[in-house]
Amino acid sequence: MTVQADYQPVFVDKVMEELQLVLQRYPTKQAALLPALWIAQREHGWISDHIMAEVAELLGITPAYVKGVVTFYTMYHQHPVGKNFVQVCTTSPCNICGAEDVVKALLEQTGAQDAGATSPDGKWTIVEVECLGACGFPTPVLVNDDFLENVTPENVPEIVKKYR
Amino acid sequence: MGFPHKPHPKETVVLSQYFGDAEARTLKGWTKRGGYEALAQVLKMDPVAVTDVVKESGLRGRGGAGFPTGLKWSFMPKEKKKPHYLCVNADESEPGTFKDREIMRWTPHALLEGTAIAAHAIRAEIAYIYIRGEFTEPWTFMERALEEANAAGVFGTIKIYLHRGAGAYICGEETALMNSIEGKRGNPRIKPPFPAAAGLFGMPTTINNVETLAAVPHIIKRGAAWYKGLCLSNPKSTGTKLFSVCGHVQRPGNYEVTMGFPLKDLIYDMCGGPRAGRTLKACIPGGSSVPILTRDETESCLLDYEGVVEKGSLLGSGGVIVFDDSTDMVYQIMRLARFYAHESCAQCTQCREGTAWTTKILERILAGQGKPTDLDLLLDLSENMTGKTICVLSDSCAAPVVSGIKKFRGEFDAYLAGKREAVLVG
Amino acid sequence: MADGVINLTIDGAPVSVPAGTLVIEAAKQAGVLVPHYCYHPGLPVAGVCRMCLVEIEKAPKLQIACATTVTEGMVVKTQSAPAKDARQSVLEFLLINHPLDCPICDQAGECELQDFVFQEGQPGTRYGEYAKRFNPVEDFGPDVLYVPNRCILCTRCVRFMEDVAKEPVLNVSERGDRAFIGIHPEARLDHPWAGNVVDLCPVGSLLSKDFLHKARAWELDKTASICTGCSQGCNISLDTRDEVVVRVRPRPNLDVNRYFICDHGRMHYKWMNRGDRIEAPLVRRDGELKATDWDEAFDRIVGILRGASGKAVALVSPGASSESLALAKRLLSGFAWTGAFQIVMGEEAPLPGVPNLALRAERAPNARGAENLGYTRDYAQALEAAKTAAVVLVLDDPDSTVETNGALIYLGTVLPPDAACRRADVVLPIANVAEEEGTFTNRDGRDQRYYQAKSAPGMAQPAAWVLGEIAAALGVTEAAR
Repeated sequence: MTVQADYQPVFVDKVMEELQLVLQRYPTKQAALLPALWIAQREHGWISDHIMAEVAELLGITPAYVKGVVTFYTMYHQHPVGKNFVQVCTTSPCNICGAEDVVKALLEQTGAQDAGATSPDGKWTIVEVECLGACGFPTPVLVNDDFLENVTPENVPEIVKKYR
Repeated sequence: MGFPHKPHPKETVVLSQYFGDAEARTLKGWTKRGGYEALAQVLKMDPVAVTDVVKESGLRGRGGAGFPTGLKWSFMPKEKKKPHYLCVNADESEPGTFKDREIMRWTPHALLEGTAIAAHAIRAEIAYIYIRGEFTEPWTFMERALEEANAAGVFGTIKIYLHRGAGAYICGEETALMNSIEGKRGNPRIKPPFPAAAGLFGMPTTINNVETLAAVPHIIKRGAAWYKGLCLSNPKSTGTKLFSVCGHVQRPGNYEVTMGFPLKDLIYDMCGGPRAGRTLKACIPGGSSVPILTRDETESCLLDYEGVVEKGSLLGSGGVIVFDDSTDMVYQIMRLARFYAHESCAQCTQCREGTAWTTKILERILAGQGKPTDLDLLLDLSENMTGKTICVLSDSCAAPVVSGIKKFRGEFDAYLAGKREAVLVG
Repeated sequence: MADGVINLTIDGAPVSVPAGTLVIEAAKQAGVLVPHYCYHPGLPVAGVCRMCLVEIEKAPKLQIACATTVTEGMVVKTQSAPAKDARQSVLEFLLINHPLDCPICDQAGECELQDFVFQEGQPGTRYGEYAKRFNPVEDFGPDVLYVPNRCILCTRCVRFMEDVAKEPVLNVSERGDRAFIGIHPEARLDHPWAGNVVDLCPVGSLLSKDFLHKARAWELDKTASICTGCSQGCNISLDTRDEVVVRVRPRPNLDVNRYFICDHGRMHYKWMNRGDRIEAPLVRRDGELKATDWDEAFDRIVGILRGASGKAVALVSPGASSESLALAKRLLSGFAWTGAFQIVMGEEAPLPGVPNLALRAERAPNARGAENLGYTRDYAQALEAAKTAAVVLVLDDPDSTVETNGALIYLGTVLPPDAACRRADVVLPIANVAEEEGTFTNRDGRDQRYYQAKSAPGMAQPAAWVLGEIAAALGVTEAAR
């Protein structure tokens, strides 16, 4: 595939070393795909078509194959997201404990107009997600990799302040 | 115990003994508490002998299917001709369920020990622990524990690796989980072939749930007879189970009780029942994929595999979702249908199209545009979605719809009669 | 059960098949077509469309016939109420997002969705309240268009590219009812065998740009033929409408091309419709080629051949039928004979998932047939011999640069204005491969027959007939070979 002239490969130096270690855990290169995509997203913030092609080449599979995998899993971002990517569970157990109000509070307090859209200052993307597996601690909220429990509209302002 | 609550006198504390005890997460702390003794014992035993102990104990899969664990292990080939694999299903995504998470973040070594014992029993050289991507905290603790344990060489020649999921409920289905580890879309596979014949990378594989494996060291140490003796009702359901109680209860959390425990006591005694001024309307006993129970059914239900079937539902993952009388059942059933529509992998026609259609109909009813024929349509679609697909996600979408219409018809009729309209979010 | 043969009952009919046969294949033997979409005998089993659900006695749930292997004594019912209800429900689910495009869809008339809905679908929809999802048409590459709205996600195309072409350039993207067939933006569907996805697509979702809106399926006549693109000898169907070849599709042949043809062969038909044909026999009179009838042409040739002796050279096309090549040789049996052909070569392009199947380097269908009859590839030597030959016979080789002092007889479909054969004494118009019946021998030595799909223009006749008539007039019989 044609390489963008100014494309900076993700898997170089230490990152490439990390990938090599990952590859040792599996009998096939393809099995390193999900871990490789996590590494790429950690480094680059999101997974572009070019990164998909880079990963494909490293693992001996096609870019189309990688794209099929990336689009299947909801946690891989296919476009840039705000500095704080916020996932709020609104599935039934949390729903009946006020999860939708938490979403509303977060949207209001961060200036992100709609769920899924990034706030004008680029700092927040709020999305509703399905069950986060913490139903006994409603409402669970993931801010990037920080898993917050028992979030209510009352403690939203504090959270927003902390991460801003 | 129902962390962060104190252990309730009616609990049978086995797996949850150290929930909340930070020291138990370290190797030192764990071994001080008797950890890894069972593993050391097992590594000197014949694999078949280990399987026999687990068979004798009556342990059944705690992920949702309730398949006898020892029997599952015995499906692996008797003659070792190929690499064997163990997959640990830590993809916990069934709405209402949050027990595996607690096991991993409080007692990671318990899971590692159970994993290693199982790997030995099925002669697996490698075990992958598939942890859902959103479980960042459990991952951290599992990673640290694994590093410590590896450094101390407790696993012998068995290699345990963590594999991170990336957001797909369907990857909790055992064959989809294997595909996901292999670096593919998390599509369930048609069976046959069964995992024990051709599973991960085409090799003989066993997949077990986190809670199931966490029980294994205890069974080894204290004996199959002890575990089998933990039984309040049907002898085919033995041991303890962590029930994740959530929703409209005063003290949500995980509660560990002996199989056969009355659901009524769990909800009212241990969790304090519904909030003040509220009464229990409905309960889903085993995670959202099982039929909804009415109040009467809930209050007379015994929590074991057979007991819940008797009430017309399934024990499933043991995720107990409690709905009080403030709940709009139609809205929540819609929200569950939406969950399944979002998570469908798209392979089977009935699931791909049916979950979305079901959701649309429910949304329309909620918006006040329901038609008299809609309920029959929903029931017909649900029947068409049941028993006809590669995996049971399709059936799982149908379960709350069918039981909901059957048992809460009045609420649906109110919407259809124009007496009610909801505000749809999302 | 004896010798690995399984006996079972399908819809009341007893069937005996080898052990390991799938129920859906065993059903064919009972004359039962189990409706299906994702299953295809040339692809690995997917089991996703759920259309082939059948009732099997003693099985607790309906089973998919495409993934169930026969067992002794199995009783299969494809027409029982549960099986039919299941199929009807699958059709209903497929139709809720499938647009009512039949009037503008190329697949109409040969669409498996139409067929089964007509056969056993519901008469009306229960999905009237919603708009169907809409996505724009996508251009996947050289010849393939993807219409996402019509896609039923059977994944045949994905499996073909991954497992047969071994180039996974198509994927399933997204999840649930948002899923569609995707391609990485930097990739194109330009694999030399990619066109097969259009044939495999049961509906009008993957379309050939070449065939787009060209003809309706029910207007087409389909004739069995053999591809002339190379020496593989893939079995094809020539689809014609009103005497024009509009499409080439593969015909299944498990020993040659299984279910597939390459894109080169698929596109290699437009020349069959050329308008600049020789339409009448021509003889040289007063220094010019003049149109005449067959009798005069034959008389002239017979005269030439009877009056000549010594060397004769035959320059032939490796795409001529074996019958015509044999007769051309027999005609010159009284001479010291040299026969040769020149063959265009190209790059070989195998289809990795099928053994012994490739677009072959030799871009002609009957080189082996010609060689079996004694023609060689030493064209240069033949040209040299032709210079001093008494008779030179050129069969369907319009680009030949032949020069001779002897008589030049040309049989061909076309005669370009600057062709060397314009100096021929006699020019005879012949039919092309679509206009006659004949035999090709492929590179593996397999004799295969092709049939007439359309009429030859003007007075053109099959070369075998023309040469046969001359041979008869000459009195050259079998025994004289």
